[in-house]
Amino acid sequence: MLLKKEILEKIIETALATGGDFAEVFTEETVSGSIQTVGGLVEKANSRKIFGIGIRIAHKLQSVYGFTNSNNPEDLLKLASDLSKSFSDELKTKALPLGEIEVGQKHKVLVSPLVFKQTEKVELLKKAYKAAKEYDEVIQQVMVNLTEWVQTILIANSEGRYVTEERTRIRLGINAIAGKDGMMQTGYEAPGTGKGYEYFLEDVNIEDIARNAARMAKTMLFADECPSGVMPVVIDNEFGGVIFHEACGHSLEATSVAKNASVFCGKLHQQVASPIVTAIDDGTIENGWGSANFDDEGYPQQRRVLIENGILKSYMVDKLNSRRMDHQPTGSSRRESYRYSPTSRMSNTFIDNGTSTFDEIIAATEYGLYAAKMGGGSVNPGSGDFNFAVSEGYIIRNGKIAEPVRGASLVGNGAEILWKIDMIANNLDRARGMCGSASGSIPADVGQPTLRVSSITVGGKKGAK
Amino acid sequence: MFIEKLFEKAIKAGISDVQVFLNNMNELSIEVFDGQLEKYEISDSSSMVIRGIYQGKMGTYSTEIMDESLIDTIVNTIIESAKIIDSPDEAMIYAGDKEYKELNDLYNEELKTMDVSKKIEKVKNLDALFHAADPRVSIVETMYAEQTKTVMLQNTKGLKLFNKVNSSMLGGQVIVKNETDQRTGFDLLITNDFNDYNNEELSRKVVEDAVKTLGAKPIPSGNYEIVFDRDAFGILLSAFSGIFSAEAVHKGASLLKGKLGSTIGSSHVTLVDDPFMKKSSRSRSFDDEGVATKYKELVKEGVLTTFLHNLNTAKKDQVTSTGNGFGGTVSAVNLALLPGNHSKDELIKMIKNGIYVTDVQGAHAGANSVSGDFSLQAMGFVVKEGVIGAPVALITVAGNFIKMLQDIEALGNDTKTGYYGITCPSVKVGPMVVAGL
Repeated sequence: MLLKKEILEKIIETALATGGDFAEVFTEETVSGSIQTVGGLVEKANSRKIFGIGIRIAHKLQSVYGFTNSNNPEDLLKLASDLSKSFSDELKTKALPLGEIEVGQKHKVLVSPLVFKQTEKVELLKKAYKAAKEYDEVIQQVMVNLTEWVQTILIANSEGRYVTEERTRIRLGINAIAGKDGMMQTGYEAPGTGKGYEYFLEDVNIEDIARNAARMAKTMLFADECPSGVMPVVIDNEFGGVIFHEACGHSLEATSVAKNASVFCGKLHQQVASPIVTAIDDGTIENGWGSANFDDEGYPQQRRVLIENGILKSYMVDKLNSRRMDHQPTGSSRRESYRYSPTSRMSNTFIDNGTSTFDEIIAATEYGLYAAKMGGGSVNPGSGDFNFAVSEGYIIRNGKIAEPVRGASLVGNGAEILWKIDMIANNLDRARGMCGSASGSIPADVGQPTLRVSSITVGGKKGAK
Repeated sequence: MFIEKLFEKAIKAGISDVQVFLNNMNELSIEVFDGQLEKYEISDSSSMVIRGIYQGKMGTYSTEIMDESLIDTIVNTIIESAKIIDSPDEAMIYAGDKEYKELNDLYNEELKTMDVSKKIEKVKNLDALFHAADPRVSIVETMYAEQTKTVMLQNTKGLKLFNKVNSSMLGGQVIVKNETDQRTGFDLLITNDFNDYNNEELSRKVVEDAVKTLGAKPIPSGNYEIVFDRDAFGILLSAFSGIFSAEAVHKGASLLKGKLGSTIGSSHVTLVDDPFMKKSSRSRSFDDEGVATKYKELVKEGVLTTFLHNLNTAKKDQVTSTGNGFGGTVSAVNLALLPGNHSKDELIKMIKNGIYVTDVQGAHAGANSVSGDFSLQAMGFVVKEGVIGAPVALITVAGNFIKMLQDIEALGNDTKTGYYGITCPSVKVGPMVVAGL
């Protein structure tokens, strides 16, 4: 299905005819599948074939993008020609010829979703169901879903870039509902991987993960409402990293920085965080959930140190936004599919290890909230104000973890919270997420060690302490 | 041709009934930044969902290529996926209803054929008005998006249905700045009549509202009476719209389980699903299963009157499908909270000590549709004795969705369809828990 080199070159040539200075063809063929189980029974099974081609032309700060499901050369040349009509210059940039295709192969997959049997996938889901359901009698319902896809992309551009790679992702969603006396609470785990099924068969114990979802639902069922107010919050490792992703990561993407719309504009090489904070966005981690060989403009993914000892070192920059900034592209361009033109996005983003331990941080906190598990969140990059939900929380009292509390959310400001991180542990771990933004919904990894924010607004239903 | 061949091969392979659902989208989007056309996107794309019953179970395959060489793969994959289904649910392909509503006014040819340059001019004009509206406006992003959606359903029971709708939206986001603060404002209008766009009014409102929030600060935690602006309330309704699905109820994943016929809201609350709503690109005369859509009251004067059904959930509950089978699951088409008769100002005047909430954030994570609990970041203004005061930010408003529906005291008459596809007015509710300082 993927296009021949000669056709790609012809499309690029057509695209540049009216003065464009950059042209790109993005071809995607994706095979995806999903299986949904409710109460341990398979209710739905769906397979999907995605195929499309996106053509992008840039002319200084302007860009045009179009896509189609057709791989007929005539249709594609017409699309390139239609798009080029947005510019009325004469030919200025001559495309470099495409050389040998470069094949990305850093992230090895042993048991591909394309070969692992449907029945074996179902077995995996049922195993997770059983472990969660049998955890406790208050577990009333368990839904386990599987999503998997293998995306094959091919990118060719007027600078002679010509690359292809195959990207595999598999994720399980385990949703446990605990109920008693008409009250219901949920627990959720969503392990995922950029490997094949070997991850679920060897690397992790799916039953332990499922039991954890059930444990969380049960804990929250018997938890009291969270008190509200300003207090210290200890945010645990793994998915706790969503705090940096939302509060700061989005504001470091060129999408907002290039337009001067971020609170971090003009702050490069300045202190923007407490000196114990080092934050990294690394798209090269082997088989990472947010990793790839190439970004979606065809340039190698990179490891980007964003903040080092509190000093802002780099933004995340894509090719076109780099034209508005005094900053090289950082291989950060990503998109959900051919239906989106790419822009700067995070990959695997995490705060690096500190020198404290988990126990030291809890012991040093007289009263506060321990956010053991975070839900999702969002940020307004213009003001930097963010929010996120705490899905499993506990009160810390006299330096000890005390009773569980539910329904908490945290609100704050991205630029301010970085200054308020006053303790960081040495237990860095990462977790999987899906990030929705300008170029669609993409797999993004978040991570951090356990850390403490000295004061932040905690919202809860119980009211002030 | 593709469809006929697919049906033929599927039946031959032992699939008893087959249905295809074809979705074609023709899209245009325009973005202007700093007075310049920054982004221009066009596309024409299709996708097809094929469902087939094999040995009583439903297999599904979706594809974006309708190439005859793919037919064998489609048939085999449908059989393979049907084989792993072990839920006892009955698989059904629908023979059709007697009548389907005519939806002629949902497609406006004029909008589709209007010269692109006029649309670009309109966006540039809005961009210029944003910039000119106030010296504190620092950054503006203005956009226009238009789509024409054609859906077609055909099955081996002889049903063949077709809908065509188009719509567009125009709007923008501004960042306003003073010496000490930076805030944003955003709004857009969705319509399929280009004449509805009023750039002067839109730009003035967005900038005025944004400027008013400069200097917004948290307020002390406590219980406050709340008026939700229509946009903010639409976000809340959207976060909880899934609880009306009978599928969620059957799974035990809706807090409305067992509440049919009981009072779940105050007498002011009448919530409807209107699949024929004008100027909505979501409107349809049939659902993805081929069932005729219908206007229905989900909640009438506070009483829960029906859940939303597809063929499967209806069969389980021994009712008829409400025509809400979309995307393999159950969802509302155009959810609308019917308006009351107060102006927004009157609602605000009812507040003794409270907050006029203009925006809530984080509904995708901070709202739990199983428990009904929510705790959301909010922005707005302090209101004392009916008078709007200082701007408020970085607070959370927490509650339970059902409790909040019961605490609705009055509704505005300023109904609007928001970005999330929910139509509602501004709403006055009793005291809620606010976390701030």
